[in-house]
Amino acid sequence: MTLRKLDGKTLAEMILQGAHHLKSNSQMIDALNVFPVPDGDTGTNMNLSMSSGAEEVEKVEENHAGKVSQALAKGLLMGARGNSGVILSQLFRGFSKTLEDKETVTTKDFAEALQGGVTTAYKAVMKPVEGTILTVAREAGETSVELAKKEGDFLPFIQGVVDAARTSLKGTPELLPVLKEVGVVDSGGQGLLTIYEGFLANLKGEELPELSSTISMGDMVNAEHHKLAQDFMNTEDIEFGYCTEFMVKFEEDKLAENPYDEEAFRQTLSEQGDSLLVVSDEDLIKVHIHAEYPGNAMNLGQQYGSLINMKIENMREQHTSIVGDKTKPKEKAEYGIVTVVMGEGIKKLFESLGASVVIQGGQTMNPSTQDISDAIVEAHANNVFILPNNKNITMAAEQAAELADVKAAVIPSKTIPQGMSALLGFNPEADISTNQEEMSELMKHVKSGQITYAVRDTQIDGLSIEKGHFMGIFEGKISSAQKDKLETSKALLSEMIDEEEDEIVTIISGEEADQQEIEALEAYLEEHFEDIEVEIHNGGQPIYSFIFSVE
Amino acid sequence: MSVDLSTKFGHITISNEVISTVAGGAAVECYGIVGMASKNQLRDGIAEMLRRENFSRGVVVRQEEEKLHIDMYIIVSYGTKISEVAHNVQSQVKYTLNKTVGLSVSSVNIFIQGVRVISE
Repeated sequence: MTLRKLDGKTLAEMILQGAHHLKSNSQMIDALNVFPVPDGDTGTNMNLSMSSGAEEVEKVEENHAGKVSQALAKGLLMGARGNSGVILSQLFRGFSKTLEDKETVTTKDFAEALQGGVTTAYKAVMKPVEGTILTVAREAGETSVELAKKEGDFLPFIQGVVDAARTSLKGTPELLPVLKEVGVVDSGGQGLLTIYEGFLANLKGEELPELSSTISMGDMVNAEHHKLAQDFMNTEDIEFGYCTEFMVKFEEDKLAENPYDEEAFRQTLSEQGDSLLVVSDEDLIKVHIHAEYPGNAMNLGQQYGSLINMKIENMREQHTSIVGDKTKPKEKAEYGIVTVVMGEGIKKLFESLGASVVIQGGQTMNPSTQDISDAIVEAHANNVFILPNNKNITMAAEQAAELADVKAAVIPSKTIPQGMSALLGFNPEADISTNQEEMSELMKHVKSGQITYAVRDTQIDGLSIEKGHFMGIFEGKISSAQKDKLETSKALLSEMIDEEEDEIVTIISGEEADQQEIEALEAYLEEHFEDIEVEIHNGGQPIYSFIFSVE
Repeated sequence: MSVDLSTKFGHITISNEVISTVAGGAAVECYGIVGMASKNQLRDGIAEMLRRENFSRGVVVRQEEEKLHIDMYIIVSYGTKISEVAHNVQSQVKYTLNKTVGLSVSSVNIFIQGVRVISE
């Protein structure tokens, strides 16, 4: 059967079925709605707009295509709801304008009318956003013009329009970043395709299944999750803990006992949780729900058949691991120690000495107040000590301590050796002020020295330093500068060590120190300072070849 | 005039110019709007469409007792459902301001200053 002329009656029936098909899919279209405002009402709005158009169409008694389309445009205008509804009304306003005087319509007329709709719709917006219903309408319209040139039969013609709209819709995530991010197609575009699908089904004389061909359950689940992700921030705020998806395969005998009614089923399920999606056809129900008791939801489904493809995820666990909140099951400790160091080796050293959180940083890469605040939270303790190990970080540490929700105190260590000594003075049995006193006191008994290289020529503290030379820094003052690293180190150590008072020298070797140098230093110390004990650690710090601690 | 926000680290001051530009930008992305109009249009009697840099002339930000009110002067396309377009603008402006500036707006008042008839 070929249909070369569309009369008013047929057009009206097409429109009615389009509206009906949109209505059956409106909830699914709602679920896709993330743009421009993710309020999940696109489907509802389009449906209300289109229903108003369909009502007007039903009132038309004449068999006149132009009158039918005018009635549709009028109804749409009056009933337009939401952005997509207004766009829809414009699309069909342009459409009806083109067909105004036509009693019957050819494919060529129809294509022109679709194009007319697109032109009108684009005129009514200052800045058309591509990747929306507008794009779908435009691309389908363009294709229809091409098609109409060689296709006079409506059935293949409308089929082509539907295909073009579907292809265009699939491309929407590429045009609109927010869609891509969520992984869904545009909801308004989906709505328009749904209407076109209704047109086609009517011409074919088919009933359409409720689930439109392009929307997948996955799309909708993504969109639901996206909307939800914007809503909650804390793991504790998750009211329904399990993301549950399952399908029910209908079974005859169960259906005989419990006739399936999608609306009623959805209603019952909605009491079990939120983010509910229910989709069904003759054989299957697909369900997505966030529920606290997923078993209950499944029991409900099982009334109608057997369960297949079940998937349950604990969203609290997922969320906890996403935000890195590993502290929840842990009791809050009485004391925590936050410290700032450079180098993996030193980090391990501090951890072995009892630091709870070690931030990487120091000279040339100071952590921010926020970094320290975060670390205080991460330490998860009632009292937190902060060892900045660098005088440039002390201020930030103090700010962080002030802002902290727990008691926090800064032990103003200026060097790595000071920080280590202070840590050794920590006594978990003592109260916070005693500890603060003890640790600050111990810190003073250690002498700190560092070896680094000069990045430019300079004159400082009476020394003239050439670029590339090594500098020995003793308590923040450059005490020697020589071309040779080892010689500089020896000179610095000699200056630091007071044989009568000091007992231990700790060498922390950095990235730029090699094994030979370490051994040479050790030999040097043993030779010149008989009673001194030498400890060697691999700190792995940048910039400083050696850090010396003498006490 | 400007909007002040206090955080634990200090203050953030957002000038009305910023708010009106964001609000105007959100509005013109709405379907059915063909332009922003100067609020003085009625007095001037000139149908003046504003360019982006002048949006603030068509967007008035008022702060009354901690609450933020926005008046927007817009021109809509002929043949659209004006009340619905206005409603869309309201919800989109409110949403965008909340999302980008973190401001909660108490009211968005829309003044339709003109209807643009496009030849069909």
